[in-house]
Amino acid sequence: MSWINAFRIRLNTLAIVLIPVCVAINWGGHTIASTLKLPLFLDSIGTVLGGLLAGPWVGALSGLISNLISSGTVDPIAAPYSLVSVLIGFAAGIAGYLSWQRQRWGWLALYLLVFLVASVASTPLNLALFQGQTGVPFGDAVFAALVKAGLPTWLAAYCGEAVVDLPDKLVTVGVALLVYQGLPNRFRSLFALYRRPQPA
Amino acid sequence: MARGLSLYAEGESPLHRAHPLTKGVLTLSAIALAFALPSIGWVAGLLAALLALAVVAGVLRRLLAVAVVVLLPITVLLLVVQGLVNPANRTVAIAIGPVALYEEGLAIAALSALRIACLVVATFLLSFTTRPADLAEALVQRGLSPRIGYVIQSALQIIPQTLEAAVRIQDAQRARGLETEGGLPRRARAYLPLLLPLVLSSLVATQERAMALEVRGFGRQVRRISRRVFRDSLAQRLLRWALALSVPAVVGLRLAGWR
Amino acid sequence: MTVPALVLRDVSYRYEDAETDALAGVDLSVAPGEWVGVVGPTNAGKSTLCLAAMGLAPHFFGGRLRGTVTVLGRDSLRVPVPERSADVGLLFQNPFTQLSGARERVDEEIGFGPECHGVAPAEVDERVAEAMRLVGLEEQAGRHPLDLSGGQLQRLALAGLLAMRPRLLLLDEPTSQLDPAGTEAIFDVLAALHARGTTIVLVEHRLELLCEVCPRVVAMAGGRVVADGPPARVFNDEAVVAEVGAPVYTRLAHAAGLPAPWPVRLDDAVAAFRRSRA
Repeated sequence: MSWINAFRIRLNTLAIVLIPVCVAINWGGHTIASTLKLPLFLDSIGTVLGGLLAGPWVGALSGLISNLISSGTVDPIAAPYSLVSVLIGFAAGIAGYLSWQRQRWGWLALYLLVFLVASVASTPLNLALFQGQTGVPFGDAVFAALVKAGLPTWLAAYCGEAVVDLPDKLVTVGVALLVYQGLPNRFRSLFALYRRPQPA
Repeated sequence: MARGLSLYAEGESPLHRAHPLTKGVLTLSAIALAFALPSIGWVAGLLAALLALAVVAGVLRRLLAVAVVVLLPITVLLLVVQGLVNPANRTVAIAIGPVALYEEGLAIAALSALRIACLVVATFLLSFTTRPADLAEALVQRGLSPRIGYVIQSALQIIPQTLEAAVRIQDAQRARGLETEGGLPRRARAYLPLLLPLVLSSLVATQERAMALEVRGFGRQVRRISRRVFRDSLAQRLLRWALALSVPAVVGLRLAGWR
Repeated sequence: MTVPALVLRDVSYRYEDAETDALAGVDLSVAPGEWVGVVGPTNAGKSTLCLAAMGLAPHFFGGRLRGTVTVLGRDSLRVPVPERSADVGLLFQNPFTQLSGARERVDEEIGFGPECHGVAPAEVDERVAEAMRLVGLEEQAGRHPLDLSGGQLQRLALAGLLAMRPRLLLLDEPTSQLDPAGTEAIFDVLAALHARGTTIVLVEHRLELLCEVCPRVVAMAGGRVVADGPPARVFNDEAVVAEVGAPVYTRLAHAAGLPAPWPVRLDDAVAAFRRSRA
């Protein structure tokens, strides 16, 4: 259970400063997608990147604060979905701590983990708020078809959400990993300091 | 106000002058109650109460303008999908050719939509009457880590700056020939060239910013003496408790069979 | 015997994952109230010297520090940077990245540091007013920091440090991104601080400016101190000049065949040229 150790870090100033930057990347990623009229949210790139760079708490806080600010300024429905963002941040942070991003298979594993976490965590929220619907036309169409076909509501809800998350999280994780790869070594290792014991 | 991001509207209403935490508790309990109250009548009543508060605060028109943008698409989706396929559907309400919308589904959708409307209005009520910096400060006074308070205030400033930078990058890339309109593949190809410069420029100064903060004492473990004094009162404290306790009370009643 | 403001005793420092030492056996002592200029080529270790004096090396960067760095009588290894910032200030090159990013008014921005130190609001206001007066930003008190020019932002950053009333002020190429007016404004503030007794260590690559104001210059190259003394002595040492350069007047006088010692300041150069014409 060594992955639990990922949560043991004390956030230093560098990690604290990274969080608003990741929040801004979340917003930038989403805004550019909207401007280009792409059918994806892409609002978690910063969350995943923050997790990969500096661990689960940075990832989770980046996601939480992004959702809270969004909820207070444009879309209050983002607030309950903070839970999903927090869990995505945790997932990316644990993967980063275990250095999944350094392995070929790690990229696929990170995508699958983030996809699973997002879809599984969003489904109970969808059930509670939207009767199982996803809130986006494509996902709702899938949901409706499956309910019509006789699937139990919770399962149809999960499938509707999964169909939306599959491409969205693929691009999210893909972009975050590409950025991570592209950062200079020196920059990445700055944050690796958190894993070492502090100097006396 | 965080330039461009905050919805805060200046005002002198009782809501504006209330302690930020009172408004926060109000919002949270209203949201919880919206989902705990049993029937459409109760939820509609809650929504009406929230809208009345918006009138008192003098923000009704602006609030409705932003709320409708959020609520309209979701309400339509709910009504259509639940009206069509909700398992409880039996009685036809509207029939258009082969397609039928059922009463039961529409009723369920309407209740859901009203609950979400309460969530949206309660949240915007807080946004329109409270400066984000004040809310953060009030939370820090009550025990939130000042470093997290810093994170929130910094995020509120950095988001509009980043969005402005995104527009500048877009103009620059377009001037270099980047296509941002047309079919989906072409628009999709524009995504990385627009996002990557933004991400890199956001990250590059992180180390310098962190050093500059430490050199000013950031992270020092001392008790900070707050400058902002928020007026509080016994009445507000009682109100906060009443609101907070109303939630488990209603939940308890629901569990005991209230429908 | 007064406690020196800054003492480095045989200090070597290597950054994490670096192949060579950024500082290699540095010995330096700065007395309280001195104004010392630090010069040298790139990678001479000038910035690292400031970082070590502040404690950012090694607290922030990790890496390996050997020897002792004693600042205001306390070992830098024992004092975390936030605590140190109550007595020591460090001004960096880039005016924009020194903004806290969490304040929307100039006066609130200056008060950020004292607030972090738990200073009471009334005293914060006093210190902010004093700092604004020192740097000449009183008129900008209510403006948003991002509305200021680069030079004004650098003065704002300096005010933010001065609000903590540091006894030692370190400046790492503070004017390299400023125009001449901005540069002059910063140097005026430093002169005022020097008159009040603040110890100043100034890393500056514009040697002409440095020689006008600093009674003492430390020349560094390759992580070591290669010269330490009055500018007139340092910039007349050919070996040193080969590594760190010299003010333009000095090189001009040398090239024009004037007799040594060559002048390092404008007034001295003018006098020397007048004499040579006579």
